[in-house]
Amino acid sequence: MLNSFKQIPAAAKQDGVKKLIVPCPCATDIPLLAEAAAAGLVIPILVGAGDSLEVLVNGSPLAAEKYELVEENDPQQVLGRAIAMVRSGEADILMQGGAAPHELLDALRDKEQGLLPKGGIVSFVSVFSLLKREKLILVTDTFINNNPTVVEKQKILENALQLGRILGIEAPKVAVLAAIEQVNPGIPSTLDAAILSKMGERRQFGKAIVEGPLDIDCALSQIAAGRKGLQSAVTGNVDIYLVPEIDTGHLLAEALVFFGKMQTAGMVMGTSRPVILNLPFVAAENRIVEIALACLACPKGGTNG
Amino acid sequence: MIRSLSDFARLAKEKGPKKMAVLAPEDEEFMLAVKKSWELGYIEPVLIGNIKKIEAAAEKVAFDLSPFQKIAGYEHQGISDLGIRMLFSGEAPIAGKGQIPTSYIYRSIIREEAKAGSGMTVSVVSFWEVPGIDHLVAFTDTGVNIKPDLEAKGEIIKNAVFIYHLLGYPRPKIAVLSGQREVGGKLASYEDFEALQKAADAGDFGPCEITAATSFTDIFLGGRERRVDYGAINSEEMPHILLVPSLDTGNIICKLDFFLDVTRSSLVATSRGPVCIPARSDFSDNIVQQIAMSVVLADRMEKEVQ
Repeated sequence: MLNSFKQIPAAAKQDGVKKLIVPCPCATDIPLLAEAAAAGLVIPILVGAGDSLEVLVNGSPLAAEKYELVEENDPQQVLGRAIAMVRSGEADILMQGGAAPHELLDALRDKEQGLLPKGGIVSFVSVFSLLKREKLILVTDTFINNNPTVVEKQKILENALQLGRILGIEAPKVAVLAAIEQVNPGIPSTLDAAILSKMGERRQFGKAIVEGPLDIDCALSQIAAGRKGLQSAVTGNVDIYLVPEIDTGHLLAEALVFFGKMQTAGMVMGTSRPVILNLPFVAAENRIVEIALACLACPKGGTNG
Repeated sequence: MIRSLSDFARLAKEKGPKKMAVLAPEDEEFMLAVKKSWELGYIEPVLIGNIKKIEAAAEKVAFDLSPFQKIAGYEHQGISDLGIRMLFSGEAPIAGKGQIPTSYIYRSIIREEAKAGSGMTVSVVSFWEVPGIDHLVAFTDTGVNIKPDLEAKGEIIKNAVFIYHLLGYPRPKIAVLSGQREVGGKLASYEDFEALQKAADAGDFGPCEITAATSFTDIFLGGRERRVDYGAINSEEMPHILLVPSLDTGNIICKLDFFLDVTRSSLVATSRGPVCIPARSDFSDNIVQQIAMSVVLADRMEKEVQ
């Protein structure tokens, strides 16, 4: 099981080098790609106007590494070209690069040309490294879905469980968060949480232990839960926190970063191949962890490197 | 100007003891907080609830209840109504809850506010003391309104601004929090921000300012490099009041004190005085802090009324 950020790149290297494709890379992407290439994680493939790509690479640390350029001079086609190369297996991982996030998400969800399997849902999982002990926790959805229905929450949870498995968490403990720990028909999040928890009890999420609704104090502290008369294997040792909606998810992730100074990295889940976004609350030094996570998430045996 | 929870503790000693209607102090941890608050000179408790249970809890923490008034009450709503009525009738400037679900307290307050014709909406303010930030930061509403509409949010802002004025901040800064980001279209919480900012600019909430920031990324990185740098997290532009979009968001974030290096202290400000509403999972030291805060606010509200 992977317990810290520093273990992730080391583990990812074991799987061999992957091809990571970047539409219209930004200047800040180049040193990161050079670092990932030097670490033996990826061979970057840059897609865009030929001369601008050369300007970016020449004289940069990436010039000394193995990389590929794909010339696509029509800016409207760059993202589509990159996704097509992932679909065809010419690349393993898609990175946001210069694509606008909403355009990227729309392209991923495209029924004909995207990367979303039928019936799936694209969601974002933030991985945090705990401050006081070596443990990784997952929080979802912190970026993509605004107000998911219970059906969508089921899929968002399945996506997070998949990332949990990639990190080696065999029987993840899941807290389905709400304002209170009691089921209250006046608070819709508690109803969804109760449904998901019942589904978990019936083994619909495999070995995962799904507890909900849980308020954050019961999720974080076994003593707090005990004082509220709540006994659960999940309290005080949660692996995955499922939030009710995006106001909570996005603000919670930011609060952990800015108030808690907790390190974070994240990944898009639900797509047929790993996708990496570029979010402001992920520090520059943790973007390599995101690449390594994406490498770990590549289907086994499907390497192009 | 009150900047920290220790300011409350210092001032509570000066301004106390104040009479506090204590509702159902039937739990050891809560009774311990009442005992400590009495010993510190913050409060003179009036104990309301099941006397046998109250005495049993007091015995466990070696607290002699003989000097205090005790009023028998036998079910949640009855106990809550008795205590909140004492607050509104002026018999006690503070009320505080023990082992009673908070919803009963809110119901009593709403009824009394209606009777008093105050028009005051009930909302909870949860203060955070954060190392490195030179003022208290208040999340609101973290307890009552499940999904407040625009009008309710305006009332929630007014309540928090009222409290900050009492704390000595003539023009508190407010951030209307939202999960708005570059994807997913415009969120309802962001639309509310836009409307509330206009209302604040028009003076609807009295002396205060709603900032342009709606997320922690905006607050901590606003106008600068749009990427977190752990070596240079800057909290200089932290607003005083953070309006949360819903009860889920407010409760989940404000109770991160179980996880982060922050201290939380919550209360309800009614038109007649503060109500101390510790969470059922709070520990005695934390409850004592919340009582100190109520004592100081009660004192300042009394002066305001005079």
